[in-house]
Amino acid sequence: MTSYVYRPSASPSAAADWDRGRVLRTNIRAILGRAYPRVIGSTREKSWIFFEIALPFLTTSAFVFVYRSLQAPPEYIGFVVLGGAMTAFWLNVMWMMAAQLYWEKDQGNLELYFTAPIDLMSVLLGMAVGGLFASLIRAAVVLGVGTAVYGVVFVVDQWLLLLAVFALTLTALYGLGMVLASLFLLWGREAWNLTQLFQEPIYFVSGLNFPVGRLGFLGALAIATIPLAVGLDAMRQLAFPPGSLPFGTPPPDVEALILVVMTAVFLYAARVMIRFLERLARQEGRLIARGR
Amino acid sequence: MSGVEGSSTPGKVAAGLRGRADFDPARAEGHGLADSRRAFTTSVRLGWQIESNWTDPLLFLIFLVARPVASALILIVMLEVISGGANRDLRAFVITGSALWSFVVAGMAGLAWSVLDDRERYRTLKYLVVSPSTLVVMLLGRGTARVASGAMGAMIAIGVGIVFLGVPFDVTRVDWGLLVPVMVVGLASIVALGLLLAATVLQSRQDSWSYPDAVAGALFLVVGAIFPLTVLPGALQAVGLLVPLTWWLEGVRQALFPGALSSIGGAGSFYAQVTGRLTPSGGEVIIVLLATTAIVTLAAATIYGVSERRARDRGLFDRTTGS
Amino acid sequence: MPSSPVTPPAIDVRELRRVYKAKPDDVTALDGIDLRVESGEFFGLLGPNGAGKTTLIKILTTLLLPTSGAARVFGFDVVADTKKIRRIMNMVAGGEQSGYGLLTTREQLWMFSQFYGMPVRDGWRRVDELIEAVGLSEQRGQKVHTLSTGERQKMNFARGLLNDPWVFFLDEPTLGLDVSAARAVRELVVAWKAAVPGRTILLTTHYMAEADELCERLAIVDRGRILAIGSPAELKKRVQRESLFRLELTSLGRGVAALAALPGVVSATLAGDQAEAPDDRQTVIVNLALSDDSALGGVISALGPLGAHIVALQKSEPTLEDVFVELVGRGFTQEAGDAGVFPAPGAASEARTGRDAIAAVHARETAEDGATADEDERAGATVEPAREPVEPVAPRR
Repeated sequence: MTSYVYRPSASPSAAADWDRGRVLRTNIRAILGRAYPRVIGSTREKSWIFFEIALPFLTTSAFVFVYRSLQAPPEYIGFVVLGGAMTAFWLNVMWMMAAQLYWEKDQGNLELYFTAPIDLMSVLLGMAVGGLFASLIRAAVVLGVGTAVYGVVFVVDQWLLLLAVFALTLTALYGLGMVLASLFLLWGREAWNLTQLFQEPIYFVSGLNFPVGRLGFLGALAIATIPLAVGLDAMRQLAFPPGSLPFGTPPPDVEALILVVMTAVFLYAARVMIRFLERLARQEGRLIARGR
Repeated sequence: MSGVEGSSTPGKVAAGLRGRADFDPARAEGHGLADSRRAFTTSVRLGWQIESNWTDPLLFLIFLVARPVASALILIVMLEVISGGANRDLRAFVITGSALWSFVVAGMAGLAWSVLDDRERYRTLKYLVVSPSTLVVMLLGRGTARVASGAMGAMIAIGVGIVFLGVPFDVTRVDWGLLVPVMVVGLASIVALGLLLAATVLQSRQDSWSYPDAVAGALFLVVGAIFPLTVLPGALQAVGLLVPLTWWLEGVRQALFPGALSSIGGAGSFYAQVTGRLTPSGGEVIIVLLATTAIVTLAAATIYGVSERRARDRGLFDRTTGS
Repeated sequence: MPSSPVTPPAIDVRELRRVYKAKPDDVTALDGIDLRVESGEFFGLLGPNGAGKTTLIKILTTLLLPTSGAARVFGFDVVADTKKIRRIMNMVAGGEQSGYGLLTTREQLWMFSQFYGMPVRDGWRRVDELIEAVGLSEQRGQKVHTLSTGERQKMNFARGLLNDPWVFFLDEPTLGLDVSAARAVRELVVAWKAAVPGRTILLTTHYMAEADELCERLAIVDRGRILAIGSPAELKKRVQRESLFRLELTSLGRGVAALAALPGVVSATLAGDQAEAPDDRQTVIVNLALSDDSALGGVISALGPLGAHIVALQKSEPTLEDVFVELVGRGFTQEAGDAGVFPAPGAASEARTGRDAIAAVHARETAEDGATADEDERAGATVEPAREPVEPVAPRR
């Protein structure tokens, strides 16, 4: 006979009483659990390898040829390659995270996530981690192949800082993604359009293919608010010969600090937003339920 | 009174549902082109509503313009960073190229996103498939709305380029005789590429929203949208010359800005080496555009047919594939 | 299993109200509900669409906040103790289409096992056990988007059991399922309840026979209010003050008046359809209302002297729909299209049998009570006597 009992407990009160360790373990498992379909989905249907890795490399190449047509210094080719690699993460945040709660609602999953004994942040993180799998591959291919094909030379003195900046950029970026996910759920159908609306303008103000410092005030504003802008600029400063180009932006260690602040602010904001969203959903009774 | 309601409501329902009692074989025959026309116009109307009614007109306008203008600005800053304001011709070249390219992206994405929208979000794709209308006609209708919004965005972006970014434009010099046929045939080639993408996403998972962008981005490299093809290695230039969009862009540029920088020709270009001429003439552009569009359209129709058959074979019309 | 003295009620709802903001007028989904479900009970909420059942489930499963009043699940407040409630409950809704189409059944369930904090291997093991329990072994490697509606609901059921819930909310779990799939789901519910008798189930349904078959106690809900609570038998007793029998005789020489005069017989009437065409029939059908079952013996003894022989004798049981009709003065089906029709063979005739009996009782009672003309019309409009012969129905419980 089937054992329906999973974990015998004396009473409902005992079953509901979880210590911090169990809460933490459950949330970590939830992150991995939610990441699972993303990773498995990638292996089930492999067209993304062509569309999300090979083709974006060609897009990056197009911008390389723009600089080549202008006989730009070789560092600019490196800028484009680095920008092309980092694009993968921004696209992941926008397409597979910010808009995702809305899709989850559409698929009828969101109600089930809400009733599970986990923090919704874990679900969002799981989406991010799952999406990161494909994004990392894409970024690595663009960076690796781009460097090899276009002869980019990186001169890195502070590897540790570079890695820290990269990691901080991702945490800040995904923190922003979490905030956007809640906002997009609130905005409903507009989320889809907002994803598109933000894509290119964010590329522009982040200095995707050029030093963001050239945008003057707009660039400074971007460095203060957009993780992609500040992270990309810091990485460029750390990856190319110091003093070879006029970046016109704060030094990388200061930018790393900005990223730390951004990470904290976005994660806190995400938490507040999710709490707000959950409360609103429970009050209004319509935010998380698929319209049937 | 409930008794009265009870007797009258079913009566009304029955009356509403009442049709011809006998089977009408003519219904199975359909009305050919009239059916297709009706399906197309309905889909266009629906597509436009989906496209535009999600927000107020101001945000919709920003939505239309943001992408092409931001794309152009990225390139303008790239030019400025390297050559300052020195190269005005190239500046005009990239502004028009990137603005027109946003139209291409919209056109290509329209059909593919209709498939994904209807299958994954609205879950109506199966109902479209089983209706007497042809699916591809309805997808074309839905795609048209996005083409229209893309065209509006492109026009506004070019307008912004002319008014604010110094793109030289003289309406009296526009070659309408070239512009009209090039736009018509070019549109067909864009739609054909969109059909190819629709065929692809019919087979792929929900997360393939970005595929149209990826394909358009890759074509960006070889069509001379943002730099003349001469910059590319010969082989890539040759590939570019096989793509109808390359000829479309060249034709639109020649028509709107006579004497502007050519994306195909120029000293040392593959085109010049092969033909012995520096730039293609308007007539040549139209002929090659027609020929390449015909090939792409034929390929798209064939591949779409195969994809639709495979979707029926594997029951892909009513699945959801999110992850 | 009776609840232990220290265990708070599984569900304790007091003065619960929920109002949805809507235009032009706000909608009151729950209008001051009081409900107590003990630990270990199989409790049902029966009502038509829009009665407020799902709203109540949503509040209890922490998906929705009450507008006012209080609701507790095993003593945990639905507003303040959200997390604790989520650890001990689970839910399955009918018509659920959740899931990721590219995952297999097994993978989909494993993903959810992680949401309940199961170690990786434990998760897979539990998933395999439940897959077998719900009868999806053959579909374990099948992608979710290829499952049939019934299989998908079985998968949802397995998902709902992953965390071994102390209280299991089933919101119209057989909605949209065919007869055999619905039966399979009901059997699963019963099997689970039998295996873990201490667990509580709250089932909402608009299938009356489903509620009748499954629930130990149930509440009849309509327009945001609970109209009656009790076991199905108790509820049915409310509308059955007399014992009702349908008697088919070879003939009845001196007419029904002779039967009506017997001791313990409250009323004896010819079935309605015979009044229209008595001459065409080989037999006579009499509806008997007796003060008590024991009066039946006297009736049967009297038949011989009256020259009548019994062809068939059938006791008429009221159904829960009859209870609903009694309580609100209208049937389910008048409220909501397909509602109220239990998707099982013979169900329709069951309903008719009861309704037939209730019609007589109800009409007479309202008349005796000096009911208003409106009430009479309502009873007449709502309760239609059966026109065709009905099959005897075996007791279900």
